[in-house]
Amino acid sequence: MGKGRPFLEIFTYALDEDYRFPLLEIFAFLFALGTFVFANFAPYGQTGEALAYSLVSTLCGFPLLFIFVILILKNVAYGLGSDLEKGVMQTLFSYPLKRRYILTAKLLSGLGIALLLFLGIQIFGLFLLAPDVILSYPSTVFLTYAAQLCSPALLLAGLVLLLTLRLKRGGLAIVIGVVLFLAGLVVSGLMTSIAYGTGSDVALKIWAVIDPNSALQTYYYHMGAVGFASETWVPSFSEVLLYLGAGYLIVAALFVVGYVYFDRRLEI
Amino acid sequence: MRWVTLLGRIGTVILMIGLALLVFSLIPSDGGFQSGWGTGIGPEQYMLEELGVYTPQTGLQISVESTDNVHVYLFGVNSVELDNWRTLLRETYPDLDEMFIELWVVPMIFFHEAYPEETPPNLDDPQTWDMMWDVALLDKGLQTHPEIILWESPPSSTFSHELFPAAVLDIMVIIANPSSNTVEVDINIKIKEVASVAAKERAIVAARLLIPIGIALAILWLILRKVKKSTF
Repeated sequence: MGKGRPFLEIFTYALDEDYRFPLLEIFAFLFALGTFVFANFAPYGQTGEALAYSLVSTLCGFPLLFIFVILILKNVAYGLGSDLEKGVMQTLFSYPLKRRYILTAKLLSGLGIALLLFLGIQIFGLFLLAPDVILSYPSTVFLTYAAQLCSPALLLAGLVLLLTLRLKRGGLAIVIGVVLFLAGLVVSGLMTSIAYGTGSDVALKIWAVIDPNSALQTYYYHMGAVGFASETWVPSFSEVLLYLGAGYLIVAALFVVGYVYFDRRLEI
Repeated sequence: MRWVTLLGRIGTVILMIGLALLVFSLIPSDGGFQSGWGTGIGPEQYMLEELGVYTPQTGLQISVESTDNVHVYLFGVNSVELDNWRTLLRETYPDLDEMFIELWVVPMIFFHEAYPEETPPNLDDPQTWDMMWDVALLDKGLQTHPEIILWESPPSSTFSHELFPAAVLDIMVIIANPSSNTVEVDINIKIKEVASVAAKERAIVAARLLIPIGIALAILWLILRKVKKSTF
């Protein structure tokens, strides 16, 4: 028996656990309804790339992103945590498969399918609502989704994965994940206040490493909003790409640590 | 059985997306952003209010009610032209407060073109200030720049008009009082989005397509699931 079949077995099991009927359907309904309800087509008279950024940002703004974060935190923390708590992981370890493939199957189900569902519905919605935007500015749409998903969604998923593996309990990890998500919103506002108060852009630059979307937002808002007060810090496009790269490096580092811990240090 | 489950779950997801689109199309539109205000316009004077940037997708509906007949104009100026006018005013009147240039660029340009030798209008100088808001100056400005008039009303005390500009333009409303009495005017602006109307129509079309596909894919799995449950 090759590696493919046991991998598929674990992947199917994970899918079954993560998306019990009608959980997947409820999230699909919420994503689709939210995508259409929250779409804002001409925010503050912006045009071009700034309009494309604003439109995508409204589509995956706070309410929908929060629902998406809840789904992936549930899958990562609760799915993995309950397997560790109930001893299911021991059974999975008995499969002729390396540990890292087991974690890959679990993450593919918990994160990959959730991302596929979320992005699939969003792109479908964009094609339906504003086909000219997605066809004229595909790179802006891609960049916006990349920045929006990097933090908090993927960053929190990585942190919660580490916490779940360390605590071997999903409940606490999911609570910490939600608290961190809400704390991120507060800190984001705080950093802007500090930057305006002190006149220094250091706080904004530090925050942009953790949340690259803040750099992208400043870049596009400055491009599109005529008459707004000048920002403390407006990054160039290459700087935005650097911050986005740094953000994904942090996310990748968290997942690598998670994999190494799961592969070598996790004791059941 | 796994294929039936896979297709069934894909079907239920498609069905739910279709239902979400149907729900969206049934949600009544909020009618867009609205704002309203009232003001008085002196005899043979006019007023101007910047309404913001509008596009072929985002238009506006303006309603005006006044105590006497007034002329209403909707001006549309592109941002490049506005910037050129602002630069011209800054060069002509270097000591002029920036706020005047930002808020009243069009009346300032009309004034500058009509009275090139005159000192700039100032709130402390009622004579030049009244000259800037005189309907005669407005008429002269309109003769010089007829291209900025997107719409003008016949003399009336009550009317409503909807406008979707052909390009991205800064829209301004101008209300002129030709009578020798002060008039009280109530103005209401409602922002309208073509896209939100079109989105609902597209959502209905997509829902009509997705719901039957979803049902077709899910029906077998749902029946087998029901049978399985009743057997155990």
